[in-house]
Amino acid sequence: MEEQGKPPAGAPNAYTQVHEVVAGDTLGKIAAKYYGDASLYMTIFDANKSQLKDPNKIFPGQKLVIP
Amino acid sequence: MMIRKYKNFGFMALAATVLLSACANQMEPAQTAIAGIDSAVSAASADAGKYIPDQLASVQAKLADLKASFDKKDYKAVLTGAPAVLTEAQGLLGAAAIKKDEVVKAANASWTGMAASLPGLVAAVSSRVAVLAKSKHPPAGVDVAAAKSASEEATSLWSKAQAAFAAGNVEEAVAAANDVKAKAEAAAAALKMKLPEAAPAAAAAAAK
Repeated sequence: MEEQGKPPAGAPNAYTQVHEVVAGDTLGKIAAKYYGDASLYMTIFDANKSQLKDPNKIFPGQKLVIP
Repeated sequence: MMIRKYKNFGFMALAATVLLSACANQMEPAQTAIAGIDSAVSAASADAGKYIPDQLASVQAKLADLKASFDKKDYKAVLTGAPAVLTEAQGLLGAAAIKKDEVVKAANASWTGMAASLPGLVAAVSSRVAVLAKSKHPPAGVDVAAAKSASEEATSLWSKAQAAFAAGNVEEAVAAANDVKAKAEAAAAALKMKLPEAAPAAAAAAAK
């Protein structure tokens, strides 16, 4: 029987949490909300590199994956 | 008068001899009948006990009744009742196979859904644990240690589930996968992660 493996750790999947950016959000604020630590903002940036080019530029309505 | 008495005694002795002889003649077929039923029950007992326990118990009870009759030397009762019980006993194997097939099909269907969704759940939880382990101040109410422990257990159980499935033990795989789900959900709760409600369906659809 074929073994059914798991997706690579960190890869977004149906269970990955998503945060919709609202006015006033920064990656630091989002990191503080989910991780309790704003300094972990790069974790969110790295997980969303497909849509973010600059960690300081996020826009309302963007849906960010929260690893 | 005396002659009549002897005649009666002689008749009774003859009748008793005929009766005993008849009983002795029935003992062996009764014993064979019980052995046949015993053999059929033994052959089916593993799967029947697992998949049709009530049906097995019913046949075992009837077999016990026959054995009780045999012990009381009521061989006629054994020989009268045995054919029906033998038929039931011989039907156990087939009935268990049909039920097993149904159970395995259902387990396979469950496995397909779980194999599509659980790795994502485990990965999402593990990923969050890894990030929160670096956090200097995890959010209030988040128990990273408990989540880490549950997440590791879920990962380990998922390996066990996959190994069981690979070995063809679908039911064991599904049971382990249910444990994985419970552990991963416990980890998510400890992390205060809100799991998307439609995630399992979405994962299953994505896997197709």
